[in-house]
Amino acid sequence: MSIAFVLKKLLTAVQTLFAVVVFNFFLFRIVDRDPLAKYKGRTKLSPAQRDVMIERMGLNGSKVEQFVAYVKSVVQLDLGRSFDSTRPVVREITDRLPATLLLVGTSTLLTVVIGVAIGARAGWKRGGRFDKVSTASTMVLYSTPEFFFGMLLLAFLAGKTGWFPTGGLHEIGGSDGFFGSVLDTSRHLFLPVITLTLGYLGSYVLIMRTSMLETLSEDYLTTARAKGLRDRDVMRRHAMPNALLPSVSAIAIGFGFVVGGAITTETVFSYPGLGLATSNAISNTDLPMLQALFLFSSASVILFNLAADLLTAVIDPRIRRAR
Amino acid sequence: MSGTLLQIRDLHITYRSIDGDVPAVRGVDLDIAAGETVGVAGESGCGKSTIATALLRLLPSSAKVTGSITLDGKDVLALNPGQLRAVRWAGASIVFQGAQHVLNPVHRIDRQINEAIEAHGAASETKAGVLLESVGLKAIRGNDYPHELSGGQKQRVMIAMALACDPLLIIADEPTTALDVMVQAQILDLLDEIKQERGLSMLLITHDLSVLTHNTDRVMMMYAGRIVEEGGAAELMSGSRHPYTKALVKSFPIIGDMASRFNPTGLAGDPPDPAELPSGCAFHPRCAIATDECRVTDVALAALADDASRRVACIHVSGRLL
Amino acid sequence: MTGLVLLALFGGIALAAPLIADRSELLVEAGRYNANLARPSLKFLLGTDEVGRSVLAQLVWGARVSLFIGLFATCVAIVIGSTIGLASGYMKGRIGTLLLAIDDFFLVIPFLPLAIVLAVLLGRSPLIMAFVIGLTSWAGVARLVRAQVLSLSERGYVDRARSLGASRRYIMVHHILPGTMPIIIANATLVVPIAILTESTLSFLGFGDRLSPSWGRLLEGAQSSGSITLNAWWYYLPPGLCIIGVVMAFTLFGRALERVFDPRLAGR
Repeated sequence: MSIAFVLKKLLTAVQTLFAVVVFNFFLFRIVDRDPLAKYKGRTKLSPAQRDVMIERMGLNGSKVEQFVAYVKSVVQLDLGRSFDSTRPVVREITDRLPATLLLVGTSTLLTVVIGVAIGARAGWKRGGRFDKVSTASTMVLYSTPEFFFGMLLLAFLAGKTGWFPTGGLHEIGGSDGFFGSVLDTSRHLFLPVITLTLGYLGSYVLIMRTSMLETLSEDYLTTARAKGLRDRDVMRRHAMPNALLPSVSAIAIGFGFVVGGAITTETVFSYPGLGLATSNAISNTDLPMLQALFLFSSASVILFNLAADLLTAVIDPRIRRAR
Repeated sequence: MSGTLLQIRDLHITYRSIDGDVPAVRGVDLDIAAGETVGVAGESGCGKSTIATALLRLLPSSAKVTGSITLDGKDVLALNPGQLRAVRWAGASIVFQGAQHVLNPVHRIDRQINEAIEAHGAASETKAGVLLESVGLKAIRGNDYPHELSGGQKQRVMIAMALACDPLLIIADEPTTALDVMVQAQILDLLDEIKQERGLSMLLITHDLSVLTHNTDRVMMMYAGRIVEEGGAAELMSGSRHPYTKALVKSFPIIGDMASRFNPTGLAGDPPDPAELPSGCAFHPRCAIATDECRVTDVALAALADDASRRVACIHVSGRLL
Repeated sequence: MTGLVLLALFGGIALAAPLIADRSELLVEAGRYNANLARPSLKFLLGTDEVGRSVLAQLVWGARVSLFIGLFATCVAIVIGSTIGLASGYMKGRIGTLLLAIDDFFLVIPFLPLAIVLAVLLGRSPLIMAFVIGLTSWAGVARLVRAQVLSLSERGYVDRARSLGASRRYIMVHHILPGTMPIIIANATLVVPIAILTESTLSFLGFGDRLSPSWGRLLEGAQSSGSITLNAWWYYLPPGLCIIGVVMAFTLFGRALERVFDPRLAGR
């Protein structure tokens, strides 16, 4: 893997990102002729105020001028102000990003660990009882909208029994000390994390299982057995690493998608992250927020695609030490 | 019999599938003495590779194996998993065809060699390096990954790996297929050298008859899951008795003999589908001297009257019916 | 095949909706004289929602909306996807590369944010929702079709048609398209579940027509009326289970079709 390789991938990523910016611009400026018509601020705008807003949002001038201005502002990370809160959009995003990262990070970790383990075992003993049961269960999981899990969990574990809080990230009154707040956060995180994990478990199990099935037919497994290795070791040392390779890519890309906001899950649990922000922006038709959130989630997908490519190149010796 | 390292008796291997059973090996007897090299030749689908894989019980679970395989006094088919793992590689090891992915692409070479040694308990600090040198590679190649080696080099690695646990028998399954002619010769010489240095027995499986001429003591010709002729290598090649062997030998041009190159006398037709074998003698559809009797009655291997070490399965040669 | 049976069941319910409950029950006024969030009873088999409307009525009529949007969106996705896939696979040169780049681009963009943005900008009627969902799902189909087209155009009969003077469009439509049909059909049945799930998500987030409730809308109503904490299970369980049922039905059916059309997958 050479510098040239890395640079090439980086360049592609930047190109795609630029395409997204262009697309974003067209979507919002051209599809929607008069963005200010949707402004539902606290007071009605007077013509003078309107002019100021137009100027500030860069809506005057020719389309080309607008576009250049837009690109400039994106690069400077000025994505406008929220219609709803009138605070800078970038601030709104950065305020909520940590909460979403915490949620998505934890649940992705769980999903990957559990999903890979189940998928690998199901694929290794294909057709066996474990495989049949897990395939059927993941199919049900896959067919369920993830927010429905959230609703069910809320109903049974929070509402009825009161074991877990029904929403938010922190107790309103605050909590005592470091451990107190860690415990408090964990309690609030628990149900949303489980919801997200269940929601995405299906696809990871499937990816790993398919990957393992393709590895099963490889000859080096026969060599490994011929050398006198236990079945368990053949699976762990020979099949797994090779089956994991394509999965790593899929996993990284999946993470990128979810970072865009576990929108529905956060909505169900009133979890104060990017997803909830999206939900609110929808209800309030907060265009600057929506535009920025779209840009952000596309950017994170591109970023994680890049990470996936680089990670695979590092892990796979065939790419790392190409002849 | 002392001195017999491997004894196979009445081996039948059938693959079970949804569409029915497919007999791959239909009653094979085979002996290999200590230090002897036996070659098994035939076209693809005749069952020779199946025998090689079956020797260490590496066939998929859909394969039904009956008969007996005795290696160094142990009945391989009756071993429990722990005993089987001990016999694998230490009793007999396999040199697979290097062209396919028989080496794990994400492990270094030395790790793969050491793995075999560790699976049998012995520590392995520098043994991988020593083994690589003994097959003509530099010890430092152990740090490489399989994709960084050429076909010939990979085959040498396979041989080095096969020697890792000091086996008594090496099974070479098509060791020269997919290699250049020059490299083929090198590999065969290497196998020869190793065999003699260490006093190993070898089972050499191939479809290329020219490989068998100077590397083997005895040869078995296989057709449709059975042995149709067996005997000393030289006699079998120069004085074949079974119609199949004769035709096959003729179709391999003799190096140096221009006439044979210009008169290809190939064998018409294709090997039979194991799922739909012809009636009677399986070879009769392609046989130049087939008679009505051949179409109807099956035939067994029988020793020749004038040479007990030669056995042929043809009514017209040895006259014994099944 | 289980999938087919389930599908028939849901399809039947959707079609029979007028027989089970009158359309007027969907109006908010209909609930005025009923108890809100009432438990299931003989009169209201699935209880009432927060304004007193029959949940069963909404569920049954919602079947039509959800299925319609799912199927229509899939059609949109298939039509766009196949056309682009066909063109990008067959036309080499700049057009082909451009189309491929567009396809790649849409594969990268996260579909839910895109759907949200489009829905906000374009409107909230069911028809528009279906369009929007179709617009965000075509990329996968295009990729699949393109791969098939590439392998088909290697075959002999295409060259023969070319040498006979057939135009590119003629070849695409009459020779290549039929070859891709099996894959498109099999894939279509697998796109429907995704479309239905996307619809339920979008409805849950507040899109969609308030007057023609879909299952996702029902779930949104359940969520916002607090029926979860109030333990009004008859409000949120039925629509959720219906979604799971229909999606599974289509997935099973689609997988079975896939196995028929692509024997390589049979062993899975």
